[in-house]
Amino acid sequence: MRRLLFAMGALLLAACGSTVDVTAPADIAVEVGKPFPNLILPALEDGRPSSILQFRGKKTLLHVFASW
Amino acid sequence: MPGWHDAIKDLYESGELQVVGIIQEQHPDRCRLFMQWKQMGWPILVDSLNLLEVSAVPITVAIDEYGIVREKGLRLDKAEEFRTGFMQAKFEAPAPDDAAAAPAQWPAAVKPADPADPSAWADFADLIVRSNDLDRIDEAIQAYQQALKSQAGNGWLEFRLGVALRKRYDSDGRQEGDFQAAVDHWKAALDIDPNQYIWRRRIQQYGPRLDKPYPFYDWVPQARQEIAARGETPAGLIIEPGGAEFAEPAKVLATMEAPAERPDPGGRIYRDEGEFIALEKVVVPNSIKPGEASRIHVNFRPREEIKAHWNNEVDGLEVWLNEGEGCQLDGSYRSLPNPPEVVSLEERKAEFEIHCAESAAPGPRSLDGYALYYVCEDVRGTCLYRRQDFQVIVEVR
Repeated sequence: MRRLLFAMGALLLAACGSTVDVTAPADIAVEVGKPFPNLILPALEDGRPSSILQFRGKKTLLHVFASW
Repeated sequence: MPGWHDAIKDLYESGELQVVGIIQEQHPDRCRLFMQWKQMGWPILVDSLNLLEVSAVPITVAIDEYGIVREKGLRLDKAEEFRTGFMQAKFEAPAPDDAAAAPAQWPAAVKPADPADPSAWADFADLIVRSNDLDRIDEAIQAYQQALKSQAGNGWLEFRLGVALRKRYDSDGRQEGDFQAAVDHWKAALDIDPNQYIWRRRIQQYGPRLDKPYPFYDWVPQARQEIAARGETPAGLIIEPGGAEFAEPAKVLATMEAPAERPDPGGRIYRDEGEFIALEKVVVPNSIKPGEASRIHVNFRPREEIKAHWNNEVDGLEVWLNEGEGCQLDGSYRSLPNPPEVVSLEERKAEFEIHCAESAAPGPRSLDGYALYYVCEDVRGTCLYRRQDFQVIVEVR
């Protein structure tokens, strides 16, 4: 969370002096109410092709993050 | 993530909810170590190219049992609402989607027929990179370059080309200048969209302390220690984090001590013109405004072709770098200790930071440097003490 708050601050700082929207929150190219994109990505475990849609059948909480 | 992990652990353990991650990292294996450390076992997908166009991390998304996005940007302090809202809600099944139902597999990466179709070239390159087909990474790099020919100013292409270049740098197919080129393309992307936080972080990861929001991978030693203390073997890393990735942020340039006299002041030691040790310099970023800082990476790699290796029975590698006008280094001298083995082959890395004053005049700063080291080679069976001179250019805009 510390890093998320910092990210917001960094966005504000980065935008200083420009005409961009400095209040824009973190976003992702998915639309509420629409299917999650059927994007094939490698699994961290073994690199096999995987898609978020293969997890259908159960409610899912998806975290998009980095370990730094 | 650990906060969310604790907040919904019961739902996860009871099977009511599944948790999945998508990571935005250049080196995904580091996340494997992180997950092991935090004892979080959920599946993770890797999106190093940021194909999901994430502007910042972390971001949390709720997806129903039919694959429909129900909420995005969930906040940990609203975890209770997540339980009473999303988790209790009944969602309607949409029309079946055959394409989404098929098992995930990599399509064949076929070079586009039309040289003027940037999307096709980008898709082709993306596929090679995300499927981690390192044998074809040159093709991916060329494909991004091809796409950029007709889409100059496309930050996504610039960023992804940088990812591919850094990937090649970390592979056996490394080409001279790959790391610098990666940084330059990330910088080009960020110049196009300064609010793209993922792009900014990719530079800051390797950049100066003065521009760092936090240490990126300082948790690695602690993670290894705690995992080992549990009796487990810590997940291995393909590329060990370097100095910049461990470094703490700083508000002012912290200078390091240097010897009273620089080594080999008269320049009398015989030169290695790169025959024994390949030297690569990378400046992150290589162009700064007055008042800004760069991190200078100087990497040394024994030449495999002559079976060169470090001689560790004597002194370690020493590096000296001179300052440029109007700019200050965090110290001109670095001394890299030898590992315990008698000989070794590892890449050695010296890092410097340069800060240029607000009053620094625009123009290139040419910093002269040199390294001194003991190196052996197996072809002729010689061990030598050598000096290699180099020059680093930092552009002040």
